[in-house]
Amino acid sequence: MVITFPNMGNVALAMQTLCQSLKIPYVLPGRNNKATLQIGSYYSPEEICLPFKLVLGNFIQSIEKGADTLLITGSCGPCRFGEYCELLMKILSKLGYNNLDFIVADLSSEIGIKEFMRRMSRISAASPISRSDKIKALYTAFKVVELCDKIDAMAYHLAGYETNKGECKQVLNEYKTKAFECKNPEEMMRLLDFYKKYFENISTNNNKDPLKISIIGEIFTIIEPFSNFYIEEKLMDYGVSTRRTLSPSWWVKNLILKPIKMDSKDINRAAGEYMPYAVGGHGRECVGEAVLAKGYGMDGAIQIYPLGCMPEVIAKSILPAIQRDKDFPIMTLIVDEVAGEAGYITRVEAFLDMLQSKKRHLKVQEPLVSRPVTVRCLGNHN
Amino acid sequence: MNIGVPRGLLYSKYHVFAETFLEEIGAKIVVSPATNKLILDEGVRYCVDDACLPMKVFHGHVSWLKDRCDAMLVPRFIGIKEKEYICPMFCGSIEMVSNNIPQLPCLIDTPICSTQNYKLSQWAKKTGSVLTKDENKIMAALDKALQRHGNSKTGFNDEGYPLKIGLIGHAYNIYDKFINMDLKKKLNGLGIGIITSEYINGADIADEAGKLFKKPFWTFAQEYYGAAVCIIKTKKADGIIYLSSFSCGIDSVVIELIKSETGDFPFMVLKLDEHTGEAGFDTRIEAFADMLKRRCGIGHNLS
Repeated sequence: MVITFPNMGNVALAMQTLCQSLKIPYVLPGRNNKATLQIGSYYSPEEICLPFKLVLGNFIQSIEKGADTLLITGSCGPCRFGEYCELLMKILSKLGYNNLDFIVADLSSEIGIKEFMRRMSRISAASPISRSDKIKALYTAFKVVELCDKIDAMAYHLAGYETNKGECKQVLNEYKTKAFECKNPEEMMRLLDFYKKYFENISTNNNKDPLKISIIGEIFTIIEPFSNFYIEEKLMDYGVSTRRTLSPSWWVKNLILKPIKMDSKDINRAAGEYMPYAVGGHGRECVGEAVLAKGYGMDGAIQIYPLGCMPEVIAKSILPAIQRDKDFPIMTLIVDEVAGEAGYITRVEAFLDMLQSKKRHLKVQEPLVSRPVTVRCLGNHN
Repeated sequence: MNIGVPRGLLYSKYHVFAETFLEEIGAKIVVSPATNKLILDEGVRYCVDDACLPMKVFHGHVSWLKDRCDAMLVPRFIGIKEKEYICPMFCGSIEMVSNNIPQLPCLIDTPICSTQNYKLSQWAKKTGSVLTKDENKIMAALDKALQRHGNSKTGFNDEGYPLKIGLIGHAYNIYDKFINMDLKKKLNGLGIGIITSEYINGADIADEAGKLFKKPFWTFAQEYYGAAVCIIKTKKADGIIYLSSFSCGIDSVVIELIKSETGDFPFMVLKLDEHTGEAGFDTRIEAFADMLKRRCGIGHNLS
């Protein structure tokens, strides 16, 4: 059994640690790239959403490298994500990959705890370590993804305040590369601790007042940087501080708290006024965060979702109302396999320009037109 | 009190129920006219551009009704079976409509979750309370509506044509003659009768859907997949046309699932959107009809 899993931001790092400590052979999906997307969209149904195309691309690439067991999380509606496993099975068997084993981690509340344990036992049976060590391994993996998310969040936030321009982005990339090379969990934890401390002590200028943007939208496309053209890193180049609530560790915590209805209460409460009923996916979270963002001191929000994502289309209908009620600019970016990067960047730059002048205008407290407008160049000219 | 009922989305499936219920509790019903160019244009104007065609059409109907009624029934269908859904868009249809279209009258938006009887009666009580305080009247209306709904039958099963195809797809695509450019008439004109999923045995459909690794959690996805596979296996028809609308999330999955079962059974997908040109549509249907005729050995007049 050689296990593999989809590449989805920091999830891959957690899974790498988990497989290492369980001593299960695994194939690490490489970082998503053009080839992944090309393979994925070639074999996918035309109108399925972008995450599916990337997941399929990941799997085909990993199978070529020798993986034979595919691990994928599931859900039971109403969004398309829950049907991924069925489609993957059909498509991969059509492509001639017949000896594959699928482990679908559906919610235990949907398929029953017995079935859930049966599915999970297929992974744990392949591991030679003791039961208590397995639980420890699971805990370490969660710790890893939590730490990674924390470091990422710090880096994205501090990018607006850093004294040495570009430091945050450079260090962020450095740690990601090193993390994928870690051979065992202990090494990973040491590395992450080091970088966490690094970011805690990074030199910043707190007198700066950078633009602050909240990234909201569909979870896959906001946590997997390839699918959104590395938007957070691009915003770091512009000296913008970004904030994002949805992350792999948030998702895990949310899932655990859901049965007792303690999941992200603040977001749901905030969304309630505009969207009283859940619509699947993370549509409600998107609305809730848009409502809350201004209170966090954000200047604007960017909603990102894959073309045709049903819950986010509903959220998109509601965002203009929030924009109007709260005087809070929100831009929507839709990604798919044919989205052109240049047009995309132009839109982001225009949005930043707009936020910048709005901010200046608010600070001066007088009409913008009466002042000579100096447009700050937002390009990466350092 | 005038209550508007938009002739969009699941109207074709549940109009008997809705109209009977509202009439029985003493409402005067205003139903929007069959979809036309004006309604479609209005819908496209108001709705977000990423939504599917039926949703845009629905916006058009709501917009037509907004000045012509005192309240509007915009049903929020959560599900009609336990642990199953219709589509995320249906759960949020009210939010879409109310945020996209200005100056709407009061919307009756109680969620419908007809998985159990008591949930349905809760819906009826809340909806009925707009008009009457008399609970007995509401419950009587509900019973009558359910009974009439049970007796009503939708769907097509044409007899007497040399060829027959299964026409599968969402009710709001199949029964809206404007957006599908009267596909039934076109097919009948080519000597093809149609059978829809309502005429396939429900038990067989459930059986086929149950064979999947994971039974689809969309009620209609199960129905369409099961019906299509039944037609393929029992050869109830000579081919299948799947009528889908652009960017329908459910169809993107169902079509792929059906395709993996077709083998060499004739199967064609027709996509609808607000730009669909009729000529290209006709050509595809004619080509499919020709192919079926040749396959079944009818009319070798190809000279």
